[in-house]
Amino acid sequence: MRERQRIGTVIQGSLLEGLTAKLEPSASVESMRVGNFVVIEGQKKQFFSLITDVALDATNEQVLLDPPAGADDFANSILAGTSTFGTVKIAPMLMLDVESSLEDQGLRPVKTVPSHFSPVYEADEDDFLRVFQEDTVSGVERVGKKKFFEIGKPLNMEVPVCMDLERFVERSNGIFGKSGTGKSFLARLMLSGIIKSHAAVNLVFDMHNEYGWETQSEESGHFVKGLRQLFGPQVLSYTLDPESTRNRNVQPDGVVVIGLNQIQVEDVALLQEELNLTSTAVESSYLLVDRYRERWLQELLNMDAETLRDFARESGAHPEAMAALKRKLDMIGRLGFVKEHVDDSVIDEIVRSIESGRHVILEFGRYDNPRAYILVANIITRRIHDLYRKKTERYQQTKKPEDRPRQLMITIEEAHKFLNPVAARQTIFGTIAREMRKYFVTLLVIDQRPSGIDTEVLSQIGTKITALLNDEKDIEAVFTGVSGGGRLKGLLAALDPRQQALVLGYAVPMPVEVRARSYDEAFYKAMGHRERDEQRREAEKARMELFGE
Amino acid sequence: MTHDLSPVGRVLRSSTTEFVVGCQDLARVPTFGSFVKVKAHDGIWVYGAAYNVLIDDDPFVRQIIGNPHIPREVALDQKENRQTPIEVKVLVLGYARDGLVYQYLPPQPPATLSDVYPCTASEVTAFTDQLSYLRTILFTPQIPADELLAANLREAYLRRGGDREFLVEAGREAARLLKDEYDRLKAILSRIRPSLFRSSTPEPARRRGVT
Repeated sequence: MRERQRIGTVIQGSLLEGLTAKLEPSASVESMRVGNFVVIEGQKKQFFSLITDVALDATNEQVLLDPPAGADDFANSILAGTSTFGTVKIAPMLMLDVESSLEDQGLRPVKTVPSHFSPVYEADEDDFLRVFQEDTVSGVERVGKKKFFEIGKPLNMEVPVCMDLERFVERSNGIFGKSGTGKSFLARLMLSGIIKSHAAVNLVFDMHNEYGWETQSEESGHFVKGLRQLFGPQVLSYTLDPESTRNRNVQPDGVVVIGLNQIQVEDVALLQEELNLTSTAVESSYLLVDRYRERWLQELLNMDAETLRDFARESGAHPEAMAALKRKLDMIGRLGFVKEHVDDSVIDEIVRSIESGRHVILEFGRYDNPRAYILVANIITRRIHDLYRKKTERYQQTKKPEDRPRQLMITIEEAHKFLNPVAARQTIFGTIAREMRKYFVTLLVIDQRPSGIDTEVLSQIGTKITALLNDEKDIEAVFTGVSGGGRLKGLLAALDPRQQALVLGYAVPMPVEVRARSYDEAFYKAMGHRERDEQRREAEKARMELFGE
Repeated sequence: MTHDLSPVGRVLRSSTTEFVVGCQDLARVPTFGSFVKVKAHDGIWVYGAAYNVLIDDDPFVRQIIGNPHIPREVALDQKENRQTPIEVKVLVLGYARDGLVYQYLPPQPPATLSDVYPCTASEVTAFTDQLSYLRTILFTPQIPADELLAANLREAYLRRGGDREFLVEAGREAARLLKDEYDRLKAILSRIRPSLFRSSTPEPARRRGVT
């Protein structure tokens, strides 16, 4: 039997409400922390569980009414653990049949509770490894099909906590947290893992230019490497704003321009809130489409007051609504990356890169406003959506493995702008979040306000990586679609504002709090990155080996 | 079994739960709460704690009590060479056989006139390694249970060489037993605080400070 620290004894509880354990006199209530991983040794099963609450209790009301005098250490040490004691609430998550044969010793979701007075132990490294596996993506190369990636370490131990990346990319995922809690840092970690493990191809809509190239870390103030630097030509960096990119001494792999002919009513509808459009105005744009087809926006923007009135009269549109529509859509025409007519070549290039398994990061440069972001992301994603739909249909027809589309993950920031209850029903992102899993496309949504996202979408999110959130509604939103989530709420509000996150969902066997891995030299190395002079040294060494002096 | 100490008296009366020791010399009477032992049948040593000392009068004392000037030798005689014995009641706490301690009542009480010995430090330590005897003291009716327990624990603490850990453990056992009687518990705890022993712990430095 291993020597684990016994912290308490199960005294009551239920599967739905969670268990209550009385703490041992030797276990200080102050060292119990919400979110700690504990193991309950039942008679036949081990239960892997989380502490969800810590409480003080007393056998007798009298003790509480007449506590021992302040400085009486002796009385305190006697009462602690006998008359007064701590209890912890424990949420069992997984169980393991101890008696079953080795082959089917799988971890299963809990379906029962341990018997009375089962001992509760603090989990040790072996328990973590059993539940969260070993890192097979970074670290030592291992033979094995599964792609486990270390996202960090538990709060009180030096063991890796790993996610199953293949499961991760199978469904849409979310990274949530208040502003400044390290969402983009967590996203960079996950993207690195996915790129390194080839679990999926990534398309990142990089609103604040954080993923492709060097950015300053909010925490340390140091500059950290972007994915383009870490993974070299496997990652392509496109930009909407070549000037801004060049100002940062970076050469983009391509420049994206959007033509007015590529903008559809759907895109405008998505911007309804941003542009403060009425729904009448949006509907009138269909009248324009009826007449001018794909040139509708171009024609609208070119109309003067007179022609606009004429058009309204002829088509039966509301003249004021048409005028408002034109006034507001003028803003789109003025965006620097919007041209009158653009063929699909750049977008096709991006799509081809993705098809060939190269990851694409699209920087927005100075257009880091939601308007440009939503517009561009929607246009590009719609194209990819069509493509993947076709590819999947073909694959279903031929059933050849080589026709299987590559798993694609699209990263979007400020996701509540795309996926709020109104937009989620109209935009391509809503569709992807709801059903594109079948078509090998999933989303990685990064957001600071998960409560703004449509609940239907939220409930479909597979894995959630959540940094600190305070707002009650946001916390509620994160636990949408998580059974027994209510019990875990306390964990989220108790996270440190930096580098700590709660990971729950499809890619981890049970919810876990982690200290996120550092995004530093060691990480770059684990991801296979080598500095230039190091590469040179290696090349030199190889040359020596081949040709001698 | 050998004894490091000479007997304090003999058994005057005995029952399963308690026995009375008749002592001759007031100076050697077991103190309140201290451990004594007496041999019963079958190699059993019955252990108990002294809890009530009765110094009974005799006809001579009755006669002389009103005398304004009692001669010194008479008073001394009453202390050292009494006509009637000093009676010490002992609460039976358990017994030992073949070096093993059992903290429940012995199968038979000790016979009258058996020698009663004070317990040595090692015997006290061995006996108090278990604490279920606390229950016997706390829940025996019609004895000053709280005072007896406190005195007994103080005694054990000192005989164990000032073992604070022991006091805490014993206090916890008492707290478990008195979970519904917090006032009693508090009274007991206030009587066994280690700080009470500060002046009497055998620390040379402290001793020197006392004049």
